[in-house]
Amino acid sequence: MSLNGQRIGTVDEEAVLADIRSMLATLLDEYGIDDVEIRMDTTFNRDLELESIDLVTLAGLLEEKYGSRVNFAEFLAGMDFEEIIELTVGRLVEHVVASLKAAEAG
Amino acid sequence: MTIVDIGGGLRLHAQRIGPRGGRPVTATAVLVHGLLTDSLASYYFTVAPAFAASGIDVVMYDLRGHGRSTRPATGYTLDDSIDDLEALLDRLEVTGPVHLVGNSYGGTVAFGYAARHPERAAGVSLIESEPATAAWAGKLDGILGRVMHELAHNEADAIAWITANRGQNTARLAKGAARLARETTLAEDIPASRVLSEDEISSVRCPVLGVYGGDSDLAELAPWMESVLPDCRTVVVPGHEHSVLVEASGTVGGHILSLILGATVPVQLAGAEAR
Repeated sequence: MSLNGQRIGTVDEEAVLADIRSMLATLLDEYGIDDVEIRMDTTFNRDLELESIDLVTLAGLLEEKYGSRVNFAEFLAGMDFEEIIELTVGRLVEHVVASLKAAEAG
Repeated sequence: MTIVDIGGGLRLHAQRIGPRGGRPVTATAVLVHGLLTDSLASYYFTVAPAFAASGIDVVMYDLRGHGRSTRPATGYTLDDSIDDLEALLDRLEVTGPVHLVGNSYGGTVAFGYAARHPERAAGVSLIESEPATAAWAGKLDGILGRVMHELAHNEADAIAWITANRGQNTARLAKGAARLARETTLAEDIPASRVLSEDEISSVRCPVLGVYGGDSDLAELAPWMESVLPDCRTVVVPGHEHSVLVEASGTVGGHILSLILGATVPVQLAGAEAR
């Protein structure tokens, strides 16, 4: 469990959303975008206009933060193309929370 | 993320994933993506995780000009692409024979590498792809000519049409392709590439797998590939076109994995349904 503002032993959806917001801010900053509101229903493709190569970078940021407990590549590999296009921030947050809980449960 | 400096001011973005939990590596696979709208992401989010889970050391990279790699204005012939691949594997100290996998143009690069270094190729998988021949160069000349005239130099109209008929996502990819075509000599370099003679093609003696979409024009290459190559098997996936890798990644990945693992039947990909 990360010590950065999160209670040890629990997985907090709000905290994960905050982490992911900060990762997305890093990514979007490269495109000179700094004023997008990122909510649970924000889509990576339509709303943020991120390309698949940006999601590879996001996978790296998730790994830096959560280590091997979260595997974004495997998560997306289990989806079909349309699902990836429709992927929301909220769905990723839920996946991260579930993965962290599973890791906690050992 | 790894940025590999291959010299000459070129930095290639590479990703390498392998089996976890201390499981032994059984083979190394190098995955090469296609032109203009493609990047290593086409593997990273499809077949790569399952390959790694099957004990394979998976190396993916962005071709020059693509994805997160640097974009020099020039140097886009097939031989330049093969030189880049050579330099990358050198820097990554991947020395042993590798399984080369290429999608579309990436397969032409993969095959070219195998023809240049037969001793370093354990196998070649070509997805919607073919070795470099005069016919290939002619076809690419036509496609890239249309990209330049109808897209790169007529972008506003082209993007409006693509947005209306193919959707926002395809339009965004097309914009990226137009930019790459305008900013570099890619569209003139690739058709001017040195191509392989039939002898050079048939000198690739390692197992070769060709995977084609049943609705793609390239599917008709299958019999020729099997006749010209000493050890070649082809698979046609019905109901798909040129994007068969991302649309049917479970099926395509299973065939490639069976070649790499030396199995006689398609291997079921872990965590990926045949879709």
